[in-house]
Amino acid sequence: MSGAAQSNRLAGGLIDRSSPVCGRFDGREIRGFAGDTLASTLLANGIRLVGRSFKYHRPRGILTAGPEEPNALVELRSGARREPNTRATTIEMYDGLEAASQNRWPSLRFDLLSVNALVASALGAGFYYKTFMWPAAFWERVYEPLIRRAAGLGRVAEMADPDDYEQAFAFCDVLIIGGGPTGLAAAQAAGRAGVRVILCDQDFAFGGRLLSDAREIAGAPGEVWVQSIVDELRENPDVHLMRRTCVFGVYDGGTYGAVERVADHLTEPPPHQPRQRLWRIVAKRAVVAAGAIERPLVFSGNDRPGVMMASAIRSYVNRFAVRPGTRVALFTNNDGGWQTASLLNARGIEIAAVIDSRAEVSATLRSSCPAAHIVTGGQVISTSGSPQLRAINVRTRDGTETIEVDTLGISGGWNPDVSLTCHHNGRPRWSDQIAAFVPDASPPGLVPAGSGNGQMLLRDCLAEGYNAGCRVVNDVGLAAKRIIPPEVDDETFTIASLWHIPTGKAFVDFQNDVTAADIALAEREGFRSVEHLKRYTTLGMATDQGKLSNVNGLAMMAALTGRTIPGTGTTSYRPPCTPVAIGAIAGHHRGRRFRPVRLTPSHQWAEEHGAVFVESGPWLRAQSFPLPGERDVLKTVAREVRTVRSSVGFCDVSTLGKIELQGPDAAAFLDYLYINTFSNLAIGRVRHGVMLREDGFVLDDGTCARLAEDRYFITTSTANAGRVYQHMQFCHQVLRPDLDVQFVPVTDQWAQYSVAGPRSRDTLAKIVDVPFGIANSDFPHMGAADVTVCGGIAARLYRLSYSGELAYEIGVPARFGHALASRLIEVGASYGIAPYGTEALGVMRIEKGHVAGPEIDGRTTAADLGFAKMMSTKKDFIGKIMAGRPALTAPDRPKLTGLRPCDTRDRLYAGAPLLPKGAPHAVENDQGVVTSVTFSPSLNHWVGIGLLNNGPQRIGETMQMVDLLRDAVVDVEVCSPVFVDQKGERPLA
Amino acid sequence: MLELLPRTGLEGVARPGHHGRIGGVPGVAISSRRNFELAIVMVRAGKQADLLVRSLERFGLSLPTIPRREFRGPLSFAWAGPGKWLAMLESACGTGFESGLREGFAGFASVTNQSDGRNIIRVRGAKARDALAKGVPLDLDPRSFRVGDTALTVVANINVHFWQIDESPTYEFAVFRSFAAAFHEWLLEASIEFGVMTGTDQAITHSN
Repeated sequence: MSGAAQSNRLAGGLIDRSSPVCGRFDGREIRGFAGDTLASTLLANGIRLVGRSFKYHRPRGILTAGPEEPNALVELRSGARREPNTRATTIEMYDGLEAASQNRWPSLRFDLLSVNALVASALGAGFYYKTFMWPAAFWERVYEPLIRRAAGLGRVAEMADPDDYEQAFAFCDVLIIGGGPTGLAAAQAAGRAGVRVILCDQDFAFGGRLLSDAREIAGAPGEVWVQSIVDELRENPDVHLMRRTCVFGVYDGGTYGAVERVADHLTEPPPHQPRQRLWRIVAKRAVVAAGAIERPLVFSGNDRPGVMMASAIRSYVNRFAVRPGTRVALFTNNDGGWQTASLLNARGIEIAAVIDSRAEVSATLRSSCPAAHIVTGGQVISTSGSPQLRAINVRTRDGTETIEVDTLGISGGWNPDVSLTCHHNGRPRWSDQIAAFVPDASPPGLVPAGSGNGQMLLRDCLAEGYNAGCRVVNDVGLAAKRIIPPEVDDETFTIASLWHIPTGKAFVDFQNDVTAADIALAEREGFRSVEHLKRYTTLGMATDQGKLSNVNGLAMMAALTGRTIPGTGTTSYRPPCTPVAIGAIAGHHRGRRFRPVRLTPSHQWAEEHGAVFVESGPWLRAQSFPLPGERDVLKTVAREVRTVRSSVGFCDVSTLGKIELQGPDAAAFLDYLYINTFSNLAIGRVRHGVMLREDGFVLDDGTCARLAEDRYFITTSTANAGRVYQHMQFCHQVLRPDLDVQFVPVTDQWAQYSVAGPRSRDTLAKIVDVPFGIANSDFPHMGAADVTVCGGIAARLYRLSYSGELAYEIGVPARFGHALASRLIEVGASYGIAPYGTEALGVMRIEKGHVAGPEIDGRTTAADLGFAKMMSTKKDFIGKIMAGRPALTAPDRPKLTGLRPCDTRDRLYAGAPLLPKGAPHAVENDQGVVTSVTFSPSLNHWVGIGLLNNGPQRIGETMQMVDLLRDAVVDVEVCSPVFVDQKGERPLA
Repeated sequence: MLELLPRTGLEGVARPGHHGRIGGVPGVAISSRRNFELAIVMVRAGKQADLLVRSLERFGLSLPTIPRREFRGPLSFAWAGPGKWLAMLESACGTGFESGLREGFAGFASVTNQSDGRNIIRVRGAKARDALAKGVPLDLDPRSFRVGDTALTVVANINVHFWQIDESPTYEFAVFRSFAAAFHEWLLEASIEFGVMTGTDQAITHSN
């Protein structure tokens, strides 16, 4: 067969023959037209074998023409854009399309793993659970790699996705889900009433089954009616039409999730366009007209390429002008299957036989294909042909007969697509009349209509669509005009359910290779609940979520257990009802944009000065400022530390949380928040404070400055800024609403620099405007003042030291942060000023024994950290009572201590346990942990701080630091946590 | 000594000029505002009625108690949650704004300067709504969000306070300064398919 010839292309159809397109499947050229799907193009080019099944690697063809397709899953595109498990039935054909079949090795026609089919009896339901059990030592090394190699469909792209995805919000009065006859009717009714309407359809063309079924509406072909409605809606500015958009979930408050395939039908997205867009649609009301999905029949060999849903045959013939085969048989249990016979008859495609399992069929149905061989009360019991269908075996009233065909259309009835109506934990209701589940109670504001609501006749779908449209318009408070549904051609629908023809290997779930025998096995082994049946057999667990298989499977379980179908029940329906790419869910928030990055006022200045940045929560902070040629970060940090300790350096500390408090009760509120007292803090003074959680453990520490009688300014650690503010809001709103206090974060308002080192005063004296006196006597340690700098810029100066040196923090309005950094460099140049980063900051805080995140880890009390004396006994404060619990006050608790290696050449490691010297390396000898370590440029060896049982009483004792992970056992001496300027004289200088 | 030059959180982040779709009028114009002062006004316990009266007396402008933004001349008050307002003064040199408000509302409200805590990013253009729909979780249709309406919400995981200025439409987003670059990055990406003009407020106003 020549692909280029499109040997199976018919006349007519809803394709654009003026736009030919060309692509490749498994390297072979395929030709089609705009308006084709990959599946219709493959069929037009005579390709019917498109993949291998998941477990048995059986050859598989195209079963459906829609998103429910279980078999024709292909890898689309190549390289970084390769996407596995895309459904050939939904992929729009485009020029340059590249697709490949999956799950076959070495080739599609000859697949080695199809030997699985020969040992199928060993691969039945529960196979994994039974086989890969023992020995346990095999789980990771043998079983898992084995399963991973054999299982799975398709290969993910191994490079980062080069395309963009985005999210968007939409709002409307009425959302209509599904643009088939019902949805179009509802949209017309709603649109004419003047409400805001969004109409979504997952297909690239509106019309639903009207594009596939040769129906007449108002005396014209269905697609003409479709076009007239679409034209009318397009003219209406309040109607938003969204093609290629699948509504996949119903969420709370009338919110719907939808994914729009913006550029999946193109080789790559056009400039500035995303590949897909995830929509959150908020609708006052919604009409779900999701349609129905034709149900397969379960008989031996029903998965052979060439077996196809009867409705899919109509889609290929009528919509895509493709002949799925040359000699077709139909096997049905309902009137719907006869529509295919009628269409094939009209198009002159040979009908070998129509097999209806019902004993009687009406003369009208028979007359739709007068020349065909009609078997009533018959069943297809098996198929043959390899790899494709060549013949079917039919059991008739008189015996069996073999009929040679290359295509078999099957119809087991229709399942309304109830999934969206069940997304609020709803369960569908069984209808005997159509032998299917129909929506029962839907989520609030959602109205099901049409075939998705169990209407099997077009006339009824249109009527229900118009009614639903009017109803939702009334619900949103407007008056709807009644529209009289147009006349449609006659049809009938009756069905006699047929769940299983018990012969050979009959597939229930095509995608997961679940057979009728697997369901029987599950029943025998006690997995009779539908939820157990699903997990044990994997029925309905594939990407199609059981759209074709679930009802057949549970109906068979019902028969096996002697229960009714509604008594057997359905599994839960959860969003998304169709696979959604993770990329679409992430949208803009990929890579560095996973969450928004916060930049300090000096960020660009730091960039210009060669800073290396580090993430600190959401912030990017300068970690260090390596000079040209400085390759070793330790060298850079040591230089920065020495600069501070010997002269002056500065560091951007704007990331520290800053909160301004005001009000008559501000002081009382702070006394309540902190373990120490702030009501007695003098105006113009700053004090260190510690906050506890309600459970008595330390929450955070920081500083608090009093700006006025009723005005304070507090700082928090960078990491806890948000949490402390939340804590304060909780304390005020819930615990102490009586206090008249107002507070607001001002973190972003201030660019704040720590200026530290013996020359810090000299440096600042050059920028702080006169007449402010910065001399030690005028502005002592722990002072705070409103000043102006650089000729009148309002600023705040605090004399605070974290480094242990003479130091200040200077805050200016953030707009001047960049300029102030430049100015500090200028005025400090004569002292050799250097900027320093968080790494040097960390080194100096460990040298000074200050606690930070590694010590304030949620398990330490104020006393553990050396703040026992700060805890006021004269007032109540948050956490006071709980901090007094016996376990929190036990004398042998781990407490803050300094640690130095006995041999100064040894390195210390944070996280390492502390054991008595000579004790065996066992958990029972664990007496503490090293929390923070650094190489001290001041002492020229490693130092650390840690939490050691009763540590402060053990100064001088030798312990061993045991780090088995890094294979380091080092003798350490317990010492004061303050390694530099132990008397604390330098900040007072 | 040379005076310090001010910078917004977007300086060096947003390259002024055209971005994205080439040709035609850009669908979206994005500008970073300058020359304004901001302060948060927070009512003191039990003083809301007095505060509302005082506001009218002293500033001739009422403090809205619903999500609206009221303005009179260069001064505006935008509702910022129960008992909170974002006060804004359009001024080239607005020092003293905070103290003026503090004095005017003495005893009835606490006032904190936020002039540098937020950047104000103006979004305007025929496609502004379409671009903003990619992150603003509110219905900006003129039937539901009008000129003078304001809202506090989260856009691209960033807290924002925004209001509508006119029917062009023009919106202003007050964004915490440290997040301004991240917000701008999102906004530019959301707008780029429509063609974007970025620049200072003055440049944009003159180009339209």
